[in-house]
Amino acid sequence: MIETVLETEGLTKYYGSTLAVDHLDLKIPQGCICGFVGRNGAGKTTAIKLMLGLLRPTAGSSRLLGCDSQQLKPAIRQRIGYVTEGHRLFRWMSIAELEKFQRSFFPKQWDDKFFADMIEYFNLPRRRKIKHLSNGERAQVSLALALAPNPELLIMDDPTLGLDAAIRRQFLEGMIELIMRQGRTVLFSSHILGDVERVSDRIVVIDKGVLRANCSLEEFRAAVKKVILSFADSTPAEVDIDGLLHCRRSEKELELILVSTTDDHIGKWADRTGAERYHIVKMNLEDQFIEFTAPPGRKKLFRWEEI
Amino acid sequence: MRFLALLRKELRECLPWMLLVAIAFFAVGGFLLRAEAYYGGYRHYSRLSPGTVVDHYQLTYYQTLNLTGPWLFCLSIGLGLVLGVRHFWIPHFTRTWPFLLHRSVSRKSILAAKLTAGTIAFVISLGTVWVALYWYASRPEVFAIPPTVRVFIEGWIFIMLGLVAYLGTALSGLSTANWYTTKIFGLVLATVIIVTTLSQWTLAGIFTSIAVSVAILLSQIFDTFLRREF
Repeated sequence: MIETVLETEGLTKYYGSTLAVDHLDLKIPQGCICGFVGRNGAGKTTAIKLMLGLLRPTAGSSRLLGCDSQQLKPAIRQRIGYVTEGHRLFRWMSIAELEKFQRSFFPKQWDDKFFADMIEYFNLPRRRKIKHLSNGERAQVSLALALAPNPELLIMDDPTLGLDAAIRRQFLEGMIELIMRQGRTVLFSSHILGDVERVSDRIVVIDKGVLRANCSLEEFRAAVKKVILSFADSTPAEVDIDGLLHCRRSEKELELILVSTTDDHIGKWADRTGAERYHIVKMNLEDQFIEFTAPPGRKKLFRWEEI
Repeated sequence: MRFLALLRKELRECLPWMLLVAIAFFAVGGFLLRAEAYYGGYRHYSRLSPGTVVDHYQLTYYQTLNLTGPWLFCLSIGLGLVLGVRHFWIPHFTRTWPFLLHRSVSRKSILAAKLTAGTIAFVISLGTVWVALYWYASRPEVFAIPPTVRVFIEGWIFIMLGLVAYLGTALSGLSTANWYTTKIFGLVLATVIIVTTLSQWTLAGIFTSIAVSVAILLSQIFDTFLRREF
């Protein structure tokens, strides 16, 4: 039986009058690698902090490993790894001191060899203080600290933010180390869709605090489509196709962003509206995400006119 | 083991300030005592020539340990403010609260470790130096009249006032309110208590006001820390 390791119900958070997370209903099954994506200010960090009990929800609730986030017992926290946004660690500590500090909280779980291997793999000097490490090195230490206790659930808040491509690759390979351990679940927020595509098997999209998608990566890839239809005379005045997200038009062309619309349905609609021809444009995940979360009218100033 | 790890970490963060204050107090206190013991030696009974009229008031007045009092008071309040900022304000600026709070210990333990480290810092940096200075001043043939026990207790009162300043700074640091509202409550309360205590004459009054203020501040700190968002 697949267990749900992370669950939120109507999770809502207001900062004053600003709505940061809006009725988030989310279920993450055990053993999946979940990319938690959203634009800047979408509410990813707030949602993660709510899940970890660092913030209090205005409404709703969340559960981690079956325990209410607001009542997370030390024994439950021990089973959850957390990589904070920006890899904020104690700057005055050396890597060795930080290892000793972290190990004290996982007396039975801590894997000395794994930590040593990761530090060696990342080529980090143990005696160097955190304040003397680069962003990338801090991220690597942060990941090693989170993985060495062998957590059942690993939550990472934008772990690859500000890292160059090479370090990001190393970081993700380190993450794959955990993924290879059976039954482990990872939730990581990111702006970099390439990273999500590389390691995730599930994607959660949040936009302005609202959950927009929670499905497998394949489902998301198959669901979001861009279709360009050409017309001999003029484009139809009304676009009434199912799953329409955005529609931009020029004189003789329509560009449609569709969600969960079958190719068959697109074909029939094209015939019905008298389109001369149509083609489905292949998009990468980043383009799909941008289109999926784009505010209406974004391209109005350029070639297309939003309707 | 977990609490000890937290305590070690908090003490390590205090260490530079503890050392600085201990060295400063030892240097100033030691200098004042040695200077008075050397130059004020004529006031010792054993060194008076026969027939000298002894001014007992003057002998009492020049209990030299008293001279270190203002220094002890200032250093203690300063240490309280600095440690309060180090323990409760800096993690906010360095954004290390989430990392610290996601430990497999309760929030109470995290807070208790900080407060215990703060208290230990006062005892080690100021308490031990104060005991050493008192011990030196009480030795025979150093001063005509050794410092009284009350002087010793007053020193500890100054140290406790530093602890009140520490708790006040901690409360203000933890508060998420605006400066012009309740955020300043901790510092204001600490200031009021310090001023009130200095104007008390009886030890009972002093200890009562300190005990009440510490109880208020501790209850507020625990309440704020356990409920606060990070």
